[in-house]
Amino acid sequence: MAKKVKAIVKLELDAGRASPAPPVGPALANHGINIMAFTKEYNARTSNRMGEVIPAEITVFQDSSFTFVLKSPPTAVLLKKAAGVEAGSGEPNREMVGSVTRDQVREIADIKMNDLNANDMDAAMRQIEGTARNMGIRVEE
Amino acid sequence: MSETGWLEVSIIVDGELAEAVAEVLARYTKNGVVIESTAIDQPETGAGTAVGPMRVCAYLPADEEVEDKKQRLLEALWHLGQIQPLPEPEFKHIENTNWMQAWKANYKPIVVGQGLVVLPAWMDAADSERVPIRIDPGMAFGTGTHPTTQLALMLMETHLQKGQAAIDIGCGSGILSIAAAKLGAGDVLGVDIDAEAVENAQNNLLVNDVTEQVTLAVGSVPEVMAGQYAIKQAPLVVANMLAHLLLKVIDQGLIDLVAQQGILILSGILDEREAEINHALEKQGFVVVERLEDGDWVGFAARQKED
Repeated sequence: MAKKVKAIVKLELDAGRASPAPPVGPALANHGINIMAFTKEYNARTSNRMGEVIPAEITVFQDSSFTFVLKSPPTAVLLKKAAGVEAGSGEPNREMVGSVTRDQVREIADIKMNDLNANDMDAAMRQIEGTARNMGIRVEE
Repeated sequence: MSETGWLEVSIIVDGELAEAVAEVLARYTKNGVVIESTAIDQPETGAGTAVGPMRVCAYLPADEEVEDKKQRLLEALWHLGQIQPLPEPEFKHIENTNWMQAWKANYKPIVVGQGLVVLPAWMDAADSERVPIRIDPGMAFGTGTHPTTQLALMLMETHLQKGQAAIDIGCGSGILSIAAAKLGAGDVLGVDIDAEAVENAQNNLLVNDVTEQVTLAVGSVPEVMAGQYAIKQAPLVVANMLAHLLLKVIDQGLIDLVAQQGILILSGILDEREAEINHALEKQGFVVVERLEDGDWVGFAARQKED
């Protein structure tokens, strides 16, 4: 019997700057995880990439032990970079803030492939396009 | 730090929408966003994965701007909801807490084998029947929570005889050396090639009050063999490390540290490497007398083959 997983918690944090303040504190305290042990390790592993958002995916076991792996930057962050915009649209149903090409979507899908629950490239690209649409970023054909 | 606490906003959505919602929340909240599983699917043997909807959650400092930000956040979510339906977000006020301490309330001691319990220094031992080993929790390796450590502890419980000396190769946090002393071993020697680990382990000896019985040192098999420490051989030798490192220490003469009729305990072996370790032991005339497994981890007790 493999070690029983209780929860999987993904924290999208600024590299090198995790602190016990929310969201880290409450998210981990609920699971009885040693918060300092996490922030110390996260900051040590990400301090060379300050300025980026680097998600950490934490696997919490029934006995409150945990492991974590670093993930690729959030799709939204990659889309904003590709479209050259600061933020997604406040009204994505009405107002477009920018656009990306299909090649850019493919590049992002490539980066995210391991982290998305997608079976193939097409499914991964559809997920990226879905996120783009929800942010008011148009995908050019 | 927000003096007046925080406003927690959370919303439960399909996995595909989680990133888009997280992006909206990240825009109006502080320090980052949490995306948490609401259910886990775990096959009998294998890793657990998140299934079903995800809970996306973030925090606004509860300052004078909080109402304004909350409104803007709600508007942004409303617009997003026009593309794909979204459930209503939930808001909850969170008091400022000392988060560095708060997690301790939800921490549970780890019960191992027949009579051991691993618990942090700050926790009372509620179950007085069990022998407490005090190690502060951290990452899963080396703190008593990892299956490899638990397998080694269980094998030690069975095979260690009171009063006998023990050697712990790659002692890390010192947990196995401490357990040996608590289980009634005579002199215990723990070595690790990582000086920082040895220093930390030394603290753990103090917390567990076993500094008399346990000696720690920086080193590995060659140093023990060379007689650099008080013990050169023991009736019980334990090594808990990954398979490639086990092969290395076996090659360095780990077997020679085991006294006549003694027991060698090996843990840290992923099942796919089991045959290799077995083969290396056999080559040196050792046979496995007990085998335990936990998930894909395997632990052995082995001894000299009888002619």
